[in-house]
Amino acid sequence: MKRPRVARASTAGGARAGGLSGARVTALAGAATAGAAAGVAAVALLRRRAGPLGQPNLRVSRGLAALGLVARGGARYASSAPRLFAAAGEHRQQLRHDLALQTAEDVAATLGTMKGVLMKLGQMASYVDNGLSPSVRRTLSRLQDSVPPMSPELAAQVVEAELGRPPERAFARWDPEPIAAASIGQVHRAITHDGRAVAVKVQYPGIAETIAADLGNVALLRRMLRVTAPSQDVDALLAELRERVLEELDYRREADNQRFFAAYYAGHPTITVPAIVDELSTRRVVTSELADGARFAELASWPQAERDLAAETIYRFVFRSLYELRAFNGDPHPGNYLFHGGGKVTFLDFGLVRHFTPSELQPLANMARYVCVERDPEAFRRNLEQAGFLRPGAPLSTQQVIDYMAVFYDTVRESRPLTMTGDYSSAVVRRFFDVRNPVTAYARIPRSYVILQRINLGLFGLLGELTATANWRAIAEEIWPFVLGPPSTPIGEAETASWVPQARRKAPPPLALD
Amino acid sequence: MTAESYATAAGLIERSAAAYVSGVPERPADDGFFGPASVTWKMSADLGGPVAGLRSLMMQALHPLAMAGVDQHSTWRQDPVGRLAAISAYLATISFAERAAAEQAAARVRRIHTHVRGVDEITGRPYEASDPALLLWIHAALVESALAVRGLFGTPVSPQDADRYVAEMVVAAELVGVPAGLAPSSAAELDAYLASVRPELRCTPAARESMAYLLDPPGLDEDVAEIWQDIRYGAVVALPDWAREMYGYDAPPLTPGRREEIRQVLGVLDALYLGEPGVLEARQRIAARMRAAARPA
Repeated sequence: MKRPRVARASTAGGARAGGLSGARVTALAGAATAGAAAGVAAVALLRRRAGPLGQPNLRVSRGLAALGLVARGGARYASSAPRLFAAAGEHRQQLRHDLALQTAEDVAATLGTMKGVLMKLGQMASYVDNGLSPSVRRTLSRLQDSVPPMSPELAAQVVEAELGRPPERAFARWDPEPIAAASIGQVHRAITHDGRAVAVKVQYPGIAETIAADLGNVALLRRMLRVTAPSQDVDALLAELRERVLEELDYRREADNQRFFAAYYAGHPTITVPAIVDELSTRRVVTSELADGARFAELASWPQAERDLAAETIYRFVFRSLYELRAFNGDPHPGNYLFHGGGKVTFLDFGLVRHFTPSELQPLANMARYVCVERDPEAFRRNLEQAGFLRPGAPLSTQQVIDYMAVFYDTVRESRPLTMTGDYSSAVVRRFFDVRNPVTAYARIPRSYVILQRINLGLFGLLGELTATANWRAIAEEIWPFVLGPPSTPIGEAETASWVPQARRKAPPPLALD
Repeated sequence: MTAESYATAAGLIERSAAAYVSGVPERPADDGFFGPASVTWKMSADLGGPVAGLRSLMMQALHPLAMAGVDQHSTWRQDPVGRLAAISAYLATISFAERAAAEQAAARVRRIHTHVRGVDEITGRPYEASDPALLLWIHAALVESALAVRGLFGTPVSPQDADRYVAEMVVAAELVGVPAGLAPSSAAELDAYLASVRPELRCTPAARESMAYLLDPPGLDEDVAEIWQDIRYGAVVALPDWAREMYGYDAPPLTPGRREEIRQVLGVLDALYLGEPGVLEARQRIAARMRAAARPA
């Protein structure tokens, strides 16, 4: 039988390919972004402190000491962060087969007693906060590197326990060597009995239990969370991170999310989400169709026109999902895309998806609406306060608030072509950590929007990496529920012709317009 | 004799990590005195290392002559972190380095020991660091602590493995100068030996002061300082009752919940350690050899 040709396994959760480097744009575009709201609380995994000689010392400071962001401490890294930022989660992992874990005890020794938790929280924190110091990134990436693959026998045991049959029987063909590492599992190729090439993500045995138990030690996690911003609610931040990590442990949820996105984008001209194979997916094994395509690193060598189209599709995917599905896939890193040319992109990995209630999303939409479209500063401020980004009654003029927030909407303020650049990114990051700005003291990131910071730190970083040019405002208007503008690009035309009508029928009820 | 104060403990993790890395060879010519199939290697991978190390120092300090030697000769007060790092480097070398390197390190220690001699002011007894009786005590306290802590906070060792470990470690005792045939070679012999030494043990002011310092080292990096409280509790609770009473320490009983918390703290400490340069690679070198040794031929 022919071996399936694989470019990238579609469920390869944590497999990190590529890696952002260089300048990136961190723009809070559009409405979305929440995160922007505050120069606050982020999460830094470790802090850097001066050594005895006054020389900066990579001090472990260990702990997730981090999650402490930092209005104060973060300012120190802000200038270099965009350049240096490369989340631990993007680290390319070499599969060390010579170190393969043979038993559940080996797994426990490697990922038990807090290590798995630190890895997961660290991964999330790296997207939530780019005040991460180099030492933090090093510790996190080391932790990720420290996890070897399972031996073929151990992976087969998990498959058998989950699917009731050994992999050689559950599948027509099974490749015992994993092709990629995932954060708490690994990916194998296989062919189903009905002939489909699939990617099978297999979870490390016992890991869900140990991570769930370790997440229960709130006192220790809290001790490691250092929050210096006066208004950040540590417990809320921790609660959000814990809940998201717990969700990632159950692959059935990931499968549900992937089905949810796949159903909505079925028939879309440029967006593809691989299908889940239901009967071969359980709590610890998830099987999805195998996708093929160019990785992010290859895209970088394609002509700029191709890169612009790919960026447009990613942008549409993120904001259509947010506004129409009220869902955000919180893992927008380069390893999770496959590119096919002509703006066609396959989206992978739905392990970390945040669903929003209408009342959580409404203020975000309103913020974009009042700052970009209606230009009503007081209404903008009201929504900022309502969402919890700004303490109500703060002794600030509305103009101060607008000045502070304006930079986050720069890419969608005017309808004109705009290129995402690293300079812009730096400006946003500086604002984000600007402790001298009087607004910072009253700003905070509410729990519900913690994950949205990945739009700033992940998505816009990616677009900056592509130096993508588009009329982002015009695209946003197509998507903004308070505008629903006409198609502004060929991809927009194609969406309208073949996909929008059916998508409208599948989407949750639209947001109310106040 | 106990007038000087101690230096700070800043850099404890960094320097211990560097010391450990230095002891794990990249391309060893042989498997050293233990090898990848040994219980010793398995024991060294245990998370409880920091607690075992602390407990073992607390035990060792209870021998008045051993303590006097440290108190009167060691640079322990001026450079406590450096001393601890040197111990880490020595133990890693003995455990993982090839035989020639381990013998060289041991020879160096034996040479230094010949200069360590004097009179203990408390008991009035003369001492020499090369005295086999003292060397044996230091050795036995270390071995017993590793087993006790692993039993409490790590994966418990089977009785067979405990015996094997004690037997394997005989060579470590002999390397520093314990005459052949003197070191215990089974868990039962180890227990019998410890019971026989009990009457000589006591908590001298030097021991009390040094251990008070170790349990609450000033200048510890902030984040480590926080988790050190749990490490300290772990070491104290793991002491035999009689030893804890000699120090006059009190430790609330170890509940299952508290035990899990200590394990979690040890996991965090281990993750931090792993972030230090070279530690992951050193561990991978060891793990790869252990896995290869475990694979059926």
